[in-house]
Amino acid sequence: MSGSLIGKSVLRKEDHRFVSGKGRYTDDIQLVGLTYAAFVRSPYARADIKSFDVSDALAAPGVIAVLTGEEVAKDGLGGLPCGWMIHSKDGSEMRQPHHPVLAADRVNYLGEPVALVIADTQLEAKNAAELVMVDFEPLTAVVNPATASQAETLYEAVPNNLCYEWELGDEAATEAGLAAAAHVTTLKLTNNRLIPNAIEPRAALAEYNSGTDEIILHTTSQNPHLVRLIMTAFVQIAPEHKLRVIAPDVGGGFGSKIFIYSEETALAWAAKKLGLTIKWTADRSESFLTDAHGRDHVSEAQLALSADGEFLALKVKTVANMGAYLSTFASAVPTYLYGTLLAGQYRTPAIYVEVDSVFTNTAPVDAYRGAGRPEATYLVERIVEKAAAEMGLDPAELRRRNFIGRDQFPYQTPVALEYDTGDYEASLHKALKMADYNTFSARQAEAEARGKLRGIGLSCYIEACGLAPSQVAGALGAGVGLWESGEVRVNPTGSVTVLTGSHSHGQGHETTFAQLVADRLGLPIEDVEVVHGDTGKLDFGLGTYGSRSLAVGGSALSVAADKVVEKGRKIAAHLLRTDVDNIDFDAPVFKMIDSNESKTFQEIAFAAYVNHDYPSEELEPGLAEKAFYDPLNFTYPAGTHICEVEIDPDTGVVEIIQFVAVDDFGTIINPMIVEGQVHGGLAQGIGQALLEQAVYDDTGQLITGSYMDYCMPRADNFPDFKVGMTCTPCTHNPVGAKGCGEAGAIGSPPAVMNAITQALGGIEIDMPATSEKVWRAVQTMPALKTA
Amino acid sequence: METIELKINGRKRTLHCLPNATLVEVLRDQLHLTGTHIGCDTTQCGACTIHVDGDAVKACTVLAVRSDGSEITTIEGLAENEASHPMQKAFKACHGLQCGFCTPGMIMSAVDLVNKGCAVDPAAIREGLSGNICRCTGYQNIVAAVLQGASEMQEQSS
Amino acid sequence: MELKQQLVIPRAVEAVWQALNDPEMLQHSLPGCQHFEQTGDNAYDMTVSAKIGPVKATFNGAIALQNLNPPFSYEISGEGKGGVAGFAKGGAKVSLKAVTESGEPATQLSYSVEAAVGGKIAQVGGRLIQGAARKMAQDFFTQFVRRLCDDETIELVIETIETP
Ligand code: FES
Ligand code: FES
Repeated sequence: MSGSLIGKSVLRKEDHRFVSGKGRYTDDIQLVGLTYAAFVRSPYARADIKSFDVSDALAAPGVIAVLTGEEVAKDGLGGLPCGWMIHSKDGSEMRQPHHPVLAADRVNYLGEPVALVIADTQLEAKNAAELVMVDFEPLTAVVNPATASQAETLYEAVPNNLCYEWELGDEAATEAGLAAAAHVTTLKLTNNRLIPNAIEPRAALAEYNSGTDEIILHTTSQNPHLVRLIMTAFVQIAPEHKLRVIAPDVGGGFGSKIFIYSEETALAWAAKKLGLTIKWTADRSESFLTDAHGRDHVSEAQLALSADGEFLALKVKTVANMGAYLSTFASAVPTYLYGTLLAGQYRTPAIYVEVDSVFTNTAPVDAYRGAGRPEATYLVERIVEKAAAEMGLDPAELRRRNFIGRDQFPYQTPVALEYDTGDYEASLHKALKMADYNTFSARQAEAEARGKLRGIGLSCYIEACGLAPSQVAGALGAGVGLWESGEVRVNPTGSVTVLTGSHSHGQGHETTFAQLVADRLGLPIEDVEVVHGDTGKLDFGLGTYGSRSLAVGGSALSVAADKVVEKGRKIAAHLLRTDVDNIDFDAPVFKMIDSNESKTFQEIAFAAYVNHDYPSEELEPGLAEKAFYDPLNFTYPAGTHICEVEIDPDTGVVEIIQFVAVDDFGTIINPMIVEGQVHGGLAQGIGQALLEQAVYDDTGQLITGSYMDYCMPRADNFPDFKVGMTCTPCTHNPVGAKGCGEAGAIGSPPAVMNAITQALGGIEIDMPATSEKVWRAVQTMPALKTA
Repeated sequence: METIELKINGRKRTLHCLPNATLVEVLRDQLHLTGTHIGCDTTQCGACTIHVDGDAVKACTVLAVRSDGSEITTIEGLAENEASHPMQKAFKACHGLQCGFCTPGMIMSAVDLVNKGCAVDPAAIREGLSGNICRCTGYQNIVAAVLQGASEMQEQSS
Repeated sequence: MELKQQLVIPRAVEAVWQALNDPEMLQHSLPGCQHFEQTGDNAYDMTVSAKIGPVKATFNGAIALQNLNPPFSYEISGEGKGGVAGFAKGGAKVSLKAVTESGEPATQLSYSVEAAVGGKIAQVGGRLIQGAARKMAQDFFTQFVRRLCDDETIELVIETIETP
């Protein structure tokens, strides 16, 4: 029976509660004695705080307490740390300004919290927050990352506002490649700043039990254990065993709910300090201001090519905006998640990248779906396409000439990574076919006859998922190991509870992980329940990010399930009075090899707990096994995306005519869920290319701070996507899976922009390609032939 | 405090609320009908969509006192006496949801589209749902779900 | 945000100038003005409530009249804080020129306003500032002229000189 559930589009176990309104998100939780918090925030991007006056707020109806940055400082709370140390070229450590839970004397970005008001009702808390008088003295803000290193210094300890100046690769070899080139393509581009916008806003509910001195924090988190670790070990609001963090149903994350924020921390601290149960839910305006933003790179690149289009070298210089403080993983995003991916799918022998990370008076920037890898892919795939155009080569052909061949794996790139497996030619081939690439020129001519501009663009992306292994990550500066825990707990009746340290906030772990374990043990999927998101129930786990859940968390469960089978064989051997070697597990039955006697999985489970003649001397009772899986390498999903667009030159509106995505995610457990992940990623990637951008004005005011100004992709922005798969299983994890959560967002932006650039006859514009920008570009084109 | 009477999911309720309380606040905080979600503060996301007297309405935009005497259906009451409404079944069958946060609003809007005869083809559905934001699914499976739900609803009513 | 507009008031320059320096007149012409108090020479404290798009806020602030060149021009600068709604600051240059209208002495009043907003008003209402400022100017001068001429029926025509 084993193997029968893998690769099946099993419908999701979690869906019934969601479609019937029975999901339980943080804000849905009602507790007795609940009070509500509202935060007071800075209306300035940068200002000194001269004083707080909370007397009016305290006197307002329903108000229980007002806590400001001054109390945070008085209580000696630590700052919010960044978990990844980066070293500059000169070996010095990155510079990290103190990130207070609530600001006491200086605010550094618009919306930075300075105080919180706690009241009996949400309305009372909000009204009273308006009465907290904070005397701000505005200072000039530094907003533009490109010029931040020449601007006024924001933090004494951070000269030139530079967090670090990082490099990777062989500079001399890269220069030599450029010098020897027959052709050099150069490209400048901006990777537009984005706001993650999970539809469930961040929220927290902190309860404190003075009898047990325990805080329970329910919060919208992708990794509750990390929340607990940082709040206790670094901010020191309580001892670790006195804080339980529960992430109930979480309404999307996309990275933004990985990080440890001020508000949730302040709430847990306040609950204990005041002995209260307090809830806070961000309104969308607060999410816009304070959820960690994504991307925000400015880059310049040079690609050196030989006369026949062979890549010789790639040189990249990037300025990455960190915002006002270093968010939890911010420093790793433009370095180890970016520079290491600049080889793409190609054999480019020499690569050199420099990254300057700068502080500005904007919201902190951190990982957003893809995190570093979309920025790398965007740069590589834009410059490759531009090189093809400049050299008069077919872009597919140029890529093919430079692909790492199927027989060249494992392949060591010049930027640290070793790719384990892949078949880039196969996904390109399949995508070209699905997109009818060969007949594009006829469609283009037909569009031209109608007065429309058509373009087709390719993107052959690679990404690195399942951050690993811990040793390597640690050597590169990661503050925590990057393994994952899992437990397979067999109940006496033979049903199974699966506990995982990774977390689902839409990815469908309750189904995929159940499928994986049910398959291994030969059980019906209904008999397997998945538990996640509660530090009170689970071993330490690292949560979900970087498309790691299945490759790392799934692998841990796979190993744990194997251990269960091993122990089951021993129990069976005892019950059948034979040798362990004589027991075979033919899921779900333990069989004697040399006879037809056998025990069912249920019989073994029952025996493990309740048999009277259980051999306790030789074998511990119980049937529950744990595993901590530390991956051997990253996994490397890769694929080809092709986008075809049509531009109306009169309006500048870009219509996506077709979008083809062919991905290689290795072994797939549930194709339906994987396709869903691809769709979602594509919508975010195409959203980045066409619609989305966070804009601060030059005083640091966020002028895209609501859904009226920040353009979210909606149903009528897309056609149906054409999704295809190829498969080269991952060679180094027991599941063979590579990760699929981010590919859509990584591969799609360059495909869209390459298509638009082609339609515009080579005119380059930056994302997002809004109709206004496109229309302006059209105006500079030579006159259109009209039919 | 104002006193209002509503018929919610088939049941008569008398409620006391502040004059400035929105319908979604009353549903969530007083009636614990937390299936209706709040995703924004500018009436743009549709997570709060419910039916008021047979029309899809964004409950974050309506004052509770304005709905005095209305008949209201939320996601919790959509299935009436069945286990699931055909649209709920279709969302499950087509994988029309991921995190599930937009889903109740999406389903309520979808049912309204079908009731109004506007769910005729994918393009119409995409347009009809453009008031509901989903950040997870890329909408494709939602559109498929609405098509399937629509045909099942039509079958059921014929 | 920048706004340059002009209008003609059917009163002589001196009368207009005087009115422009009359706290009472300013207070009653300013839409949403709840409190207006002279704090020094050409300096005033005030409380004004304003609505910009979906955000309604009460601003506490101070304004000062500077560079007075009677009876032809002055500059107003001010800053108001609206609590969680954010802040607004800006200035206006106002100048007067004698003209005749239907044979009577009249005044051409032109002004250019520069304003910046921050916090929630900028976040949610940023796009709407231009319109809100225009409306506020229209309301202010309509009231101002009606009071000055003691005629509630006057419909004011304001001409925009230049939009950025
Ligand atoms: S919460 Fe009602 S539309 Fe967003
Ligand atoms: S399923 Fe997550 S927002 Fe739609």
